[in-house]
Amino acid sequence: MMKFAGIFWHKPLFQRKKQEGVLFTVPMVISIAILALLILCCIFAPIVSPYSPTEQSMSETLALPSARHLLGTDRVGRDLLTRLFYGGRTTLLNALGVVALSVVIGVPLGLVSGYYGGIVDTVIGRICDVVLSFPSLLLAFVLVAGLGRGMISAVIALGIVYVPMLTRLVRSLTLVEKNKTYVEAATSIGYSDTRIMFVHILPNCISTISVQITLDLAYAILDLASLSFLGLGVQPPTADWGAMLDEGRNYLLQNPFLALAPGIAIIVTVVSLNIFSDGLHQYFEPIQRKLPSFKQVERRKKKKAAA
Amino acid sequence: MIKFIAKRILQLILILFAASVLIFCMVRITPSDPVSSMTKGRRISEETREALEKQYYLDRSLPEQYIIWITNALHGDLGDSFEHRQSVNSLIAGRLPTTIQLVIMSAILALVIAIPVGIISAVKMNSVIDRLLSVFTLIFVASPVFLTAIILMLVFALHLQLFPSFGSGSNWVENLRYLFLPSLALGMNMVALISRITRSNMIEQLNSNYATTALAKGIPYWKVVMKHCLKNALIPVITVASIQIGSMIVGAVLVENVFALGGLGDVLIDGVKSADYPVVQGITLMMIVVFLLINLIVDIAYAAIDPRIRLE
Repeated sequence: MMKFAGIFWHKPLFQRKKQEGVLFTVPMVISIAILALLILCCIFAPIVSPYSPTEQSMSETLALPSARHLLGTDRVGRDLLTRLFYGGRTTLLNALGVVALSVVIGVPLGLVSGYYGGIVDTVIGRICDVVLSFPSLLLAFVLVAGLGRGMISAVIALGIVYVPMLTRLVRSLTLVEKNKTYVEAATSIGYSDTRIMFVHILPNCISTISVQITLDLAYAILDLASLSFLGLGVQPPTADWGAMLDEGRNYLLQNPFLALAPGIAIIVTVVSLNIFSDGLHQYFEPIQRKLPSFKQVERRKKKKAAA
Repeated sequence: MIKFIAKRILQLILILFAASVLIFCMVRITPSDPVSSMTKGRRISEETREALEKQYYLDRSLPEQYIIWITNALHGDLGDSFEHRQSVNSLIAGRLPTTIQLVIMSAILALVIAIPVGIISAVKMNSVIDRLLSVFTLIFVASPVFLTAIILMLVFALHLQLFPSFGSGSNWVENLRYLFLPSLALGMNMVALISRITRSNMIEQLNSNYATTALAKGIPYWKVVMKHCLKNALIPVITVASIQIGSMIVGAVLVENVFALGGLGDVLIDGVKSADYPVVQGITLMMIVVFLLINLIVDIAYAAIDPRIRLE
């Protein structure tokens, strides 16, 4: 997996005194704004758009963008922009489902394997090795073959595929945390292992896990779109960005927006998620923060002296 | 060195064994009736049913079925397809060359594009060019392979008509033209990744002491970049590239679908859709073997170059 730490230079939106780490930097605010807009459009799709996603109008098939239909219409005259919003609902919800599933399975496994070590750790580690020896989509194909195609299968398949990466991350974080004094203190008070793992160690790992989760969300959107594109995920008439792309590619010459619009929606969402995750990473890890240079510190001192 | 290779091969065999069990179990994760998918739901007599079950060993218990499958696979026979009434081997054989050519071409294209891009952005670090290239690579990482494929098809095949928009040629020379757009689409994802890694490695090398020494001795800047630093920066790049080839095999499935190339991917996806166990198992197992073998070769080559790795 790749991170784009450092591509965007994270300039704070509001400059306050004596502040080192800033969450709301310029790229971060832009990406949050885009994501919020997207999510709002998807949630309030029935209010934003005057059309229904399944309403067909045979008189306006494959229309090009116009004032009535901002992005044109598809094969059976459904408004593309409306379908884009409803498709976003499916895509985003499914991606959330994938990540939620992988968190529910992966985090406890990682905690247990890091905390207890020994044979438990070895078994979990070996299973992760085997699962990671597959390219991720290939394993999803195999699982979909077993579960039967459809939206739920795609979500379950990808959810399982994403588990080992998360397990490994949580395990390595737990290994660091469990040797710290607070864990020793909690043990000596007599707290149970479960309580120590979930109430004491887990909150200290949350920051790193949340960075990974936002990245996973981006990958889940891409992989889900791939499955739907191949006809293994969401089935018609439900709209989903991947399935819409699949449908639109047959009409590239009549109305290229049918394929391009969902594609651009995917790119915009994934890029925003990447930038968001990059920003979180920089905020949570002080080493990644951009500290004022020596020159700037000098200049500030001078200003203070003058004032 | 021999000890290292032996150890790695043993590991590979263990992982392959586990992976084959995993594939076998996952395909059968929900109970379904393969015979009805073979006959497409037509009503058949009990005798035909029994004969079919016997032919595909479906009357045996699951562990027995696994042993039969894996022993045959070790002998190079992947079984018969439910759907096509044809052996999986013959299904694969006809389509494999296209897929292999596609993956190799896109790997070459990706390296040819990515390494110069990485060098330029490292040399011009933090300039406008570097930032533009970074944004482009970010967009290509975020763009699913099939979207890149569709856009390339729309621009170069449908509008400019420079390349054919679908199908494949009869031999590999003719295929060069047919596979150019598909391999470019497949390669773009890798371009993004490789150019980022080349960039960060090159920056590290350019800041090293030996580069400064070489410059101080009066060697021209471009010679230092191309001859001294590039060689050192490329080693990690090759590792990442080889690992990427694994995900390219899967990406090839998507690209073949867009350009209707009739490669391995189409058979795999049809198999997945119709729950054709032998086809899915066979092709997946083959892909895993290729993927793991590439990793093994890279590991060994790496150990041959760098003795420190052998000790690990």
